[in-house]
Amino acid sequence: MKITQIIENLNLELLSGDKGMEREIKGVYSGDLLSVVMANAKEQQVWLTVQTHINVVAIAALIDIAAIIVVENMDVEEETIKKSNALGIPILKTNKTSYEIAVELYKLGID
Amino acid sequence: MKELSLHILDIIQNSIVAKATMINVDISEDIKNNKFSIGIKDNGIGIKKNILNDVLNPFVTTRKTRKVGLGLSLFKATAERCRGKLILNSKENVGTEIYVEMEYNNIDRPPLGSIEDTLISILSGEGNEIDIEYTHNVNGNIFTFDTVEIKKMIDGVEITSPEIILWLKDYIKENIRELY
Repeated sequence: MKITQIIENLNLELLSGDKGMEREIKGVYSGDLLSVVMANAKEQQVWLTVQTHINVVAIAALIDIAAIIVVENMDVEEETIKKSNALGIPILKTNKTSYEIAVELYKLGID
Repeated sequence: MKELSLHILDIIQNSIVAKATMINVDISEDIKNNKFSIGIKDNGIGIKKNILNDVLNPFVTTRKTRKVGLGLSLFKATAERCRGKLILNSKENVGTEIYVEMEYNNIDRPPLGSIEDTLISILSGEGNEIDIEYTHNVNGNIFTFDTVEIKKMIDGVEITSPEIILWLKDYIKENIRELY
């Protein structure tokens, strides 16, 4: 499934990184403790988090995460947006919780 | 990171890579002023002036194997999340000093974690090459520990030897426990 499809199905707001929108996603990771995410998330996953610091983009770039979904309507720093645009790593935003988004992604057939 | 001691371990490892031979670690828990601070100072090669402002940016690293360097950036983000700050000072060929301050009672502040494990994991590997001076202040109760003194005391026995390491671990653990 492509990122464009999950944006449409889950009604997410695309904040930045639209160059990476056509990427195929493989699975989901949810976590807010960056060191743990760094150790356990896998490439091409979609990452659900409340963290919005520029370090989030650094970790996504390091692991080659397909997209970041910022949950619970957290505000995202300008620096983070800029870096996401530069690297083409989409940041999507929702007011739902990680759990709610995870359930919806599962229903779309992503496991 | 889950515990502050893991940040401390990470920074000390930076110091070792920077060829430091003396590392000072100061921890202060000041409940009255709601302040938790950590200072780490080394006598390593320091950070070049032209990149000093960039090292807190996760996309700047001297590492050749990957494009991002996260140690200091993660520590800074942890401090700021706890309404604190990270201050970095460094002088080429003199050393580097990192000072972190956080709100003591901030709900996002990670626990300190196991200092004895952190110090022991460094000393068991690098104890012959480096020295660590550790000071831990909890509301005015102070524990200090200096491997220069310890090395004099054990007179010729290597600090990395298993019996010394085991003894040190208990010694540090006991003394920190008595601070509270």
